[in-house]
Amino acid sequence: MSASAKDSQSRSGQAIGQHILQVRNLQKTYPNGTRALRGVSFDVKRGEFLVVIGLSGSGKSTMLRCLNRLHHPTGGEVLYTDRQGQQLDLAKCQGDEILEVRRRIGMIFQHFNLIPRHSVLENVLYGSLGRTSSLKSILGMYSAEDQAKAMNFLKLVGIGEKAHFRAAQLSGGQQQRVAIARALTQSPDILLADEPVASLDPATCHVVMDYLKKVNQELGLTIICNLHFLSLVRQYATRVIALKGGELVYEGSPADIDEAWFSRIYGEGAKEVHIN
Amino acid sequence: MASAEVVVSSGGAKFRQTVFDAVVFAYLAIFAVVVVYRPSEEQMLKLGENASLFGAFVVIGAILSVVLQHKNIKTLGWMIYAPPHLKQRSQDELVAPMHKTLWGVQLILSVVVTTVVGFVMTKIDVLQLLEAERFWHAMRLFGELASPNLEILPKAVLKIIETIYIAFMATAIAVPIAFVLSFLMARNIMGSSRVGFGIYFALRTIFNVSRSIEPVLWAIIFSIWATFGPFAGMLALTVHSIASLAKQYSEYVESVEDGPIEGIESTGAGRLQTVWFAVVPQVVLPYISYTVYRWDTNVRMATILGFVGGGGIGTMLMEYQGQAKWPEVGCIILVIATVVWIMDTFSAHVRAAIK
Repeated sequence: MSASAKDSQSRSGQAIGQHILQVRNLQKTYPNGTRALRGVSFDVKRGEFLVVIGLSGSGKSTMLRCLNRLHHPTGGEVLYTDRQGQQLDLAKCQGDEILEVRRRIGMIFQHFNLIPRHSVLENVLYGSLGRTSSLKSILGMYSAEDQAKAMNFLKLVGIGEKAHFRAAQLSGGQQQRVAIARALTQSPDILLADEPVASLDPATCHVVMDYLKKVNQELGLTIICNLHFLSLVRQYATRVIALKGGELVYEGSPADIDEAWFSRIYGEGAKEVHIN
Repeated sequence: MASAEVVVSSGGAKFRQTVFDAVVFAYLAIFAVVVVYRPSEEQMLKLGENASLFGAFVVIGAILSVVLQHKNIKTLGWMIYAPPHLKQRSQDELVAPMHKTLWGVQLILSVVVTTVVGFVMTKIDVLQLLEAERFWHAMRLFGELASPNLEILPKAVLKIIETIYIAFMATAIAVPIAFVLSFLMARNIMGSSRVGFGIYFALRTIFNVSRSIEPVLWAIIFSIWATFGPFAGMLALTVHSIASLAKQYSEYVESVEDGPIEGIESTGAGRLQTVWFAVVPQVVLPYISYTVYRWDTNVRMATILGFVGGGGIGTMLMEYQGQAKWPEVGCIILVIATVVWIMDTFSAHVRAAIK
């Protein structure tokens, strides 16, 4: 594991191609008047490992949720280009189209958001809910194809042997890997990760990040990931954007974030914490 | 700084605080009027006149409350309804003893007045309990109850079994109905759309009303509608159980964690799937636990319902009690106590096992 962590400094071997997302002037104002996003614009290329940094409350989480429509943006565009080259504004989708947006964009969370009382395999199978009818899913009638897929992804994240454990019995790092497998079962085009390692210990942190990297490189899945620790950003990101007060304040290569940028993003007096 | 604070108070809080103060004022004023003028029974029965007098006091109280609010004096209504940021004490403010503040005096007066009225209303007379004749009469009754007539035991056992099944059927019919209703009555599930909120609000209102009708009243209604007997009792208990289960269940639904919901929603799952996979697993155990408790409660309630024609052991108890056959009543009470104790223990064990 540590070997792969070390060479992760080098860029993903996969060619980074066309734009997959073009976010234009994205805005989100909550009903209570809080302006979480004040017009954010950036591009995401297919196959990138884009990391979003910024303080708590800078709008990172809101931004990710506006992309997969867990939250609904109040302004701007999210132009998505699929593998066939078709363009779609995700911000304009309505009703059942929103469910389709969520199906295409997988997501993992800081607190994993699994169903703790259900088995690991069931949790992974929930990734196929979007393409299974309500009745079939409630009766537990998942297609053989979905079952095989779920098991495969569980093996891909290295916990195939835990399939029939309850999710609650697993450690934090293992639960996050289950969450990754669940998101992969959706067959998503993009994977969002909201602070995926913020509630894990430093050692487990790298295991989870390495699996995200593996998914990015081996499956060519585009990843957009919120992170706290700059040292992780330098190790895993192919590109970085930074938010502050709901606005984009930095966009560029992780190697270019120096002291000056750091204090601009995190405020004067902030010190970088290293995590190894 | 201090003057700026006074201005920021939401309209809703101000309104509530004024109404509260006004009603408290009217309550105290009416008490004063009754003490001073000692109205005749005839006068007390003139509901219209008395209500308008109360109304007039409410208006005076409201005006007083508004004046006091302007002078920045803290009333009881303010203590209850003012938004928390206003309640923040400034640094140089001293802690005043309760009886030297207006709200403290209001509170003390209300409690004292209510207690005094309570004594008068319930006609408390300790001397009655000390009269020798009455005392021995009561003791004789206890004596007869304590020597139960076990001849009627077989019938009592059969009847309590009937009661247990009345309670069981009421619970069994109520559970699936309340299960479905509980999601429609949970704000976090229904609050997102206008139509949903309408359904939520309508159901809440209907069930708050039906819950406020005691099961005994339902039993009277159903014993006329259906026939006198176990069926009427079961129906009465069912109606009450649905209302009570749905309310309690929906509170469990409202307290579920959002994480799993977000997790399932992020996969593109539909509304029904999200409820089934993210909400139901979180509420199943509390549901079971509360349902067992409900069955236990229903057994006790079914006994009472028998008194008004709900069948089971309650009806039997009513018959013997009406004929003043105290040893038989003693036997029935013994049977009821045993079963209630067993049910109570059983339900406690089940609930402990589930936790």
